[in-house]
Formats: sequence, C-alpha cells, structure tokens
Amino acid sequence: MSDLARGNIPIKSENDIVAARRVVRDLATQLCFGVTDVTRVITAASELARNVFLYVGAGVMWWSILDQCGEVGLELTFEDHGAGIPDVEQAMTPGYSTSRGLGLGLPGVKRLMDEMEIHTEVGKGTTVMVRKWLRK
Amino acid sequence: MAIRSKLSGTAALEDVEGVGSQAFLASIVECSDDAIYGKTLDGTILSWNRGAERIYGYSAGEMVGKPVSVLVPANKPDEVPAILERVKRGERVSHFETTRVRKDGEVIDLSLNVSPIRDASGQIIGASTTARDVTEQKKMREALTERAKEILDVSTPVLQVWEGVVVAPFIGTLDTQRAQQFMERLLDKIVQTNSAVALLDVTGVPAIDTRTAQHLIETITSVRLLGAQAILTGVRPAIAQTLAHLGINLADVVTRSSLAAGLRVALDILNLKIVTQEDQAKGAHSL
Amino acid sequence: MTNQNISLVKVRNTLLVTMPADPDDVTVTTLQEEVLGAMEKYRPKGLVLDISGVETLDSFFARTITETSRMVTMMGGQTVIAGMRPSVAITATQLGLTMGGTFTALTVDRALDLLAHPHPRRRIR
Repeated sequence: MSDLARGNIPIKSENDIVAARRVVRDLATQLCFGVTDVTRVITAASELARNVFLYVGAGVMWWSILDQCGEVGLELTFEDHGAGIPDVEQAMTPGYSTSRGLGLGLPGVKRLMDEMEIHTEVGKGTTVMVRKWLRK
Repeated sequence: MAIRSKLSGTAALEDVEGVGSQAFLASIVECSDDAIYGKTLDGTILSWNRGAERIYGYSAGEMVGKPVSVLVPANKPDEVPAILERVKRGERVSHFETTRVRKDGEVIDLSLNVSPIRDASGQIIGASTTARDVTEQKKMREALTERAKEILDVSTPVLQVWEGVVVAPFIGTLDTQRAQQFMERLLDKIVQTNSAVALLDVTGVPAIDTRTAQHLIETITSVRLLGAQAILTGVRPAIAQTLAHLGINLADVVTRSSLAAGLRVALDILNLKIVTQEDQAKGAHSL
Repeated sequence: MTNQNISLVKVRNTLLVTMPADPDDVTVTTLQEEVLGAMEKYRPKGLVLDISGVETLDSFFARTITETSRMVTMMGGQTVIAGMRPSVAITATQLGLTMGGTFTALTVDRALDLLAHPHPRRRIR
C-alpha cells in the first residue's frame, strides 16, 4: 500500500474542527466519493477532531490518500498527547458515555468508516486512525 | 530433450518426424497467441515471440536487448523489480493482472505468469514471462457486473403507488454496498415524490440475520428522520420471532403482515379512504 | 469564509429558522440563543428548523438541536426539523444521533402544516 499524498492540520481551537471538516470535504470530493460517503467521512472527522479539542485541547489530524492494488482510499489519523483512554473496550461499547454524558462517540464513528484503529496509553496520549475506501 | 507421451495403440509421439526436437518446442513458443519472452535478472529482454510482437506492437528486433521497463506504465515503477526479486528467490508469479503500454501508447490489461529460468546446474539465470491479453475479458467482466447491478436496481425498484406513498421491496441478501445504495434510493425517492409514507415490504426476505436486521432498523430510522413514516409490511410470524430473538424492539414501528394491510394504514395516515362507486352514489343521494 | 448566517423570521405565529450549510460551533450556539430570545419576545406556537441546506450534522449540532427543542417545549411551543437531506439522515442514523425524538418533516411547508394542525402523530397499532 502506498500513499499518493498526505498532509496535516493542527487541532487547537474550535475553528480547527471546521477546518478539519473543510479539508476532509475537499479530499473526499476530489476522490469522487458519493454524496453520502462524503458526508460520512466529514462527520467522522468532525467527531474525532472534536474529541481531541474537547478532551485534550490540542492535537493534530493527519490525512493521506491511499492506493492499494488500484483501490483508492482516504486515511485520517487523529493524534493527541493527552491523558489517554483508560478502557478502550468500554469506550467502544455502543451506549457507553462518560460522566459528562457526551462520550467519545467511537462506536458511531466506526459504523461510518470502513476501518478504525485506536492506540492509546494512559498518561501518554491517543491515536485514532480511520479509513474509507472508494466503492466502485 | 524429447517429449514422451503414451498414446494407446498408435505410434509414440517421438516417432513423428520433427517432434522432440528443439525446433518443435521453439515453434510452439513462436506460434502461441500469448506473449512469451525471456529476460535477464535485471530485466533485459533476451527473446521475444510473435505473440509478444502482436500484443505489444514491438518487433523482436526492437525489443531484444532493451529493458522490459519500456513496457511498464509510468505509475508502476516498482512492479518489475518486485517481480524479479521474487523470481530470484525461485518463486513463480502467477495470474498477475496488471497493465502495460503498447508501442502505439495504448494501455492494455494483461495476466502475467513469470517463472525462473535455470541453467544446467539449477542456478536461476533469468525469467520467462507469459502474458495474456485480458482486455476483452476485463471489459466483459465489468459489463456483467454493471448488468447485474442494473438488474438488481430494476428488480428492487422504489415505486410510488399513490400520491404520498412509496413502496420498497426489501431484499435481505444485499451486501453492505447494495444495502447502502438501497437506503439512498429510498430516501431520494421519498424526497422526490414528497411522500409522507414509505412501505418497507419484507415479504421477499428469506431470513433475517443480524446484518439484515441492522440494515432494516437503520432504514426505518433514516426514513423517520427525513420526516416520513415507515411501515413494515409482509412481516410473517417467523420474521417477527427472529427479530424478537435478536433483541430488536419494534414497539414503535408500525408493522402489518401484508402489503395490502400496510397500504390501508398509509391511506389512513393521508386521511384518504377507498369507497366503492356504489357507496359514492348512495352518498350523493343522501345529501 | 462561507456564509454563517442564521436566518430567523416569524411566519404564521411560528418561528422559521434557516441554518447555513456548514455552521461552525459559534453559529450553532447562536442558534440556541436567538431561538430563546425570539420565543420570549413573540411567544410563537412553534419553531421550524430548516436544515435543507445543511451538509454535515455532527453530534454537537444534534445535541444543540435537541436541547433547543426541549427548551421550546418548556416555553409552550413545538419544534419541527424540516428538510433533512438523505445523506445527512443516513449518516446521523449510523452515527446514532436521534434528535431526541423531535418531530421531523420533509419540507418547511409540511412542517408549518404540522404545527398549524396540532394533533399529535396518531399512534397506529
């Protein structure tokens, strides 16, 4: 698998959540994703960018366009150096929410995307990677 | 080198004149429709058959001594080195579908088989490639897939049966992609026809598994978010039982066992009533 | 910078609020403030939230809509969300956003009709 293009944007403010949505919209549209898939990808990015901003305050979104044996895809990685997620399994259970009642919305994001990987370490930080492949 | 084969009754093959000779084998290669060419381990072409001339458009004179990378499209610079690496290890590359560029610039689809060539001591000294032009096959495959999709779309139409009512037959065996397309088509039709009610008919669903149930629930929820009412029709006891076992709560979803019953509900929602012409006439008289 | 303007008009004793295509967080918060202000000023019987131009509806936007709807109810009114796009409806469903059970309508027209004839959605069994 190789990537054809990549970039990143910092997530430090509420405006960056909007910026993330715009970048993802441009990428998804350029890759000719269908209307609903474009919406899915933008919404997933908005949720994950918001998590970074809300819970950690600062982080970065990496994006790259993938090419795997002729299949084209979009990969987004949200990275922060925050407190980490203590119990990922619990966070991935549908219906689970933190004490503030907001939750991370991870099960929903997983439903929107084709692949999702979470790497987290308490006290060190979290990386959430999601991918969506172009459907023929 | 001789070809040995057993032919019952008739003369053995090697008795036929010419068979078993190098010339015979060489002519098999030459006359093949496939492109067959040999190259060194760094990709320099050593031999080039007539099939290769036809498929790639280059004559043997033009290709022998040249690097095989001449044929490779610009967007695949690592492909030939990767293949040669495997051949050097003694591996064979089979049915590798890829593209190559003809002399006239046309890009063609090929299926490649690459094998190591060994010398008398067994050491690998080169690679032999057989390439089959699969452009036509690929086009046919793609056309068939398109046709299948078209047939599926035609056989699962979302129909407007009355002003304000659409009916969508639910096919349980849809894969994820088709399921998503079904949802999109249904919602688009609802918006397009400004319908208040959508009848989701599951009469044709043979079995409800978790994935189908999830797809069903998502479809119903999306329809409601849009602003229309979803009615599930054709729900047989077996289906209802399975859904219950899956823990699906259909408490706030209107369900009916037949499409006709569902239609009655739809008309009721739209404040419509079907009366016979007799009743209508009687009604007029009693005014 | 895309248009971030919320349009708010009073029509037939109803508040009609139209949202822009991709509202930022500030705009979404403003929605709630403006609605509450207008509810207090005009005491309309309802709020129609026109999201036909909205391309992305994330959980923050959805939560704000739900909260606003509840506030409108507490102030004696009824909320209807109008014009949700199919792509948004599917995405919201898959993300698990429910809009708190707020009424929805295909178009602003339908929404106004719904508010004008306030019989609750008939429970058909």
